[in-house]
Amino acid sequence: MNTMRIIMSALAVLTLGACSREPDVVVYVSHDQVFSEPILQDFERDTGIKVRAVYDTEESKSTGAMNRLIAERNNPQADVYWANEPIRAEVLRQQGISAPYLSPSAEGIPAEFRDPEGYWTGFAARARVLIVNQNTNPMPTSVLSYNDPRWRGQTVIANPLFGTTTTQIAALFVLWGDERARAFMASLRDNSVELSGSNGDSADLVARGEFAFSLVDSDDAVNRMRQGEPVEMVYPDQGADEIGCLIVPNAAVLIAGSPHPDLGKRLIDYLLSRETEAKLALSDAAQIPLHPGVAGPSELRPISSIRTMRINYAEIAAKLREIQPFLESWLASST
Amino acid sequence: MTERITISGAALLLVLIGLSPVMAMVANTFYGDGGFSLGAYRILWSADGQLASLMGRSMLLSLLTAGLATALGVPLGILLGKSNLPFRGPLMALFAVPLLIPPYVFAVAWFGVLGKTGWLGQALAPDAAGFVSSAFFGLFGCVFVLVAAFMPIVMLLTVTYLKAVNPRWEDAARLVSGWARILVAVTLPPIAPAIMFATVLVLLLTLGEVGVPTYLRYPAYAAQTLTQFAAFYDFRAATVSAAPLLFVTFAILALQYRLHGTVLELGRGATGAPCVEIDLGKWRLPLFALVLGMALVTVVLPMAVLIVQSASPAVYLEAISRAGDSILRSLGFAAIGATLLTVIGFFCGYLIAYRTLAIWRGVDWLALLLFTLPGTVIGIGLISLWNTSLTNWVYATPAILILGYLAQYAILPIRMTSASLEMIPRSMEQAARLSGAGWFMTLQHITVPLARRGLIAAWLIGFVFCLRDLGISMIVYPPGSDTLPVRIFTLMANGTPNLIAALCVILVAITILPLGAAAVWLNINARHL
Repeated sequence: MNTMRIIMSALAVLTLGACSREPDVVVYVSHDQVFSEPILQDFERDTGIKVRAVYDTEESKSTGAMNRLIAERNNPQADVYWANEPIRAEVLRQQGISAPYLSPSAEGIPAEFRDPEGYWTGFAARARVLIVNQNTNPMPTSVLSYNDPRWRGQTVIANPLFGTTTTQIAALFVLWGDERARAFMASLRDNSVELSGSNGDSADLVARGEFAFSLVDSDDAVNRMRQGEPVEMVYPDQGADEIGCLIVPNAAVLIAGSPHPDLGKRLIDYLLSRETEAKLALSDAAQIPLHPGVAGPSELRPISSIRTMRINYAEIAAKLREIQPFLESWLASST
Repeated sequence: MTERITISGAALLLVLIGLSPVMAMVANTFYGDGGFSLGAYRILWSADGQLASLMGRSMLLSLLTAGLATALGVPLGILLGKSNLPFRGPLMALFAVPLLIPPYVFAVAWFGVLGKTGWLGQALAPDAAGFVSSAFFGLFGCVFVLVAAFMPIVMLLTVTYLKAVNPRWEDAARLVSGWARILVAVTLPPIAPAIMFATVLVLLLTLGEVGVPTYLRYPAYAAQTLTQFAAFYDFRAATVSAAPLLFVTFAILALQYRLHGTVLELGRGATGAPCVEIDLGKWRLPLFALVLGMALVTVVLPMAVLIVQSASPAVYLEAISRAGDSILRSLGFAAIGATLLTVIGFFCGYLIAYRTLAIWRGVDWLALLLFTLPGTVIGIGLISLWNTSLTNWVYATPAILILGYLAQYAILPIRMTSASLEMIPRSMEQAARLSGAGWFMTLQHITVPLARRGLIAAWLIGFVFCLRDLGISMIVYPPGSDTLPVRIFTLMANGTPNLIAALCVILVAITILPLGAAAVWLNINARHL
């Protein structure tokens, strides 16, 4: 019986320990845990406010946290959502799940990377770039290189149903119109473009020489370059008459009806600060700062010297929902 | 009366914990536009055959995996459970290791062998390495990893049920025939339902598997459920897309219904006489080499890859600093889950072993169904049911994880307890009752002590399955309370391979060490008895 008592006591302690509560802020994070966790730990250390986080898994393609926010809309558990791209933040705004907050830390961030009413604010961006194996000759220069017959069967792209690849495709639909964008997608299939599970997978496949190039996020490319992999990075469509390179900032979102809105605002102020942008730039996350004058990663150009794609994120969010059935159908016919 | 009330309570608890989230989720699919609606079901017939195509791929993967696991698991079970092969115990333990580890860990490990820059890839010519790597990422890789992961189910059930074959039949047959013929004509036919049950179990587990097909880029149906959940922000569509999976699971279980009953009956006829051993003669050492080689390739090699990849104190220090809290939480949650599973499993197992209530088969069937459902489906169901302001005390705490574990893994302690109780002569309990002992007193002083080894084994298996759970945990873990398997998965996004390998090794170690300790303790105890 003594053994039983010891076991039951241990279970009670574990249960109570697990359920203990202190003033804290709850954040759902779609940015990679390996990069976001140190920032949140710094926030805890600097402010004394405990952070409880839910991180996305690679398996749920960075949409698990987003779906939890939607599922919990009538009973919000989170105070802040750290989105890894503004499209998700836009979807939350359209569904009435986010609340407006104009953070003083956002001063200096270009207006194109912020919602004017403060439903989300962008910071620390990635560029959508081509990661190219060094043995590739000539180098691709545009997203249209995917259609080039010389690279038939030699290119790879992440599943377009998820993440920044979806955003990229939706942006092309907005820029080009449905007809041209659908033709582009059909040509991807005709040119035997391989699909991978994620941008990270695509970058690895190119680094290992299994494919010539892939459209990925700039942090994926920079990481492989820092690991000494034989790859180069190309900013696509930089010509005067070309569409430019898609920029994908992180976004900080305050959740409507959250349990601790004041602590949530403090966390957002911290995330949008120049210091956080500098940390995310100098870490392996290799993010491009949006505040002017903050030093970025040495491998990447500053935001002011990139020809960026002129797009409206709200428009892309709306288009993204519209083209989901098409993308699913395209995916089924391509696998 | 106390007996019936307690057992009814346990069965009702299982229904509430396991069935109600699924029912809540299904009910939600009929609600839309402010009232009753079948709108969500339109995706089933407007998907242009995509769902049927995905289901076809999943069935192909499941059939190949189940077929190969059976083809390998049955002979292995016979060799390890019924022959004089050397080192049968250690070999059986080695082959069972993959069952204790999330299958995706093995996929990660095999990538280090079969990937283009893996161990084999570096040894082969570039074209051959490319071919192997391409084959690994797809159907063949999935089948390979999942056969290694699930084959132990067939092997262990074969070993277990071989003991139920009456040795007198085999002794009689040996007078006129050799072992090859005896196995085909005498030994295997009575346990064919058990083997078929193991095959069906592997088939259903493969059908619900998400991690391996996703990692190896094979488009399987269960991943479609996740896609609906993840990409479209539409829970009703996610549930509806899972409906065909539920239907197939129901259909397979219904087909297996009669066999299932026979499986439960198998242990009852056991004579208790020692199992007749097959003398392998001159084949003993060659077969030992073959089995050992198989164990080295399917179990030791992938584990060695993980160990070599992570072989640095600095990597382990980083792993502990990154996931130390998750490791402790995983152990705590698994201990609580296993304890509650053992309690519920004991009473439900008692119900099935002694058929105390007419609903015994329904309870067993429900627990089996819940075990075969994808964890993501149960996870979505838990959110649907428990995410309200009134039930925050469950939803916003680790209790939601424990409920998920109880729902998905109840079948394990139920079946194990039931099997243990079958071994105890009912007359002992009846004698205690005739002497005036109440039911609880009889349980405390007669039944539980006699079933102690089975209950400890049930706790350990419950602990292992709670510890390795990913499907439910990644959907419902409370903020700041992730488990180690979830942490490994979230760190896979841009985490270094060394770090991931170290965390996988830690997961394997914290899973196997308690089992090893328990095995030693049980052996010591057995010697003292």
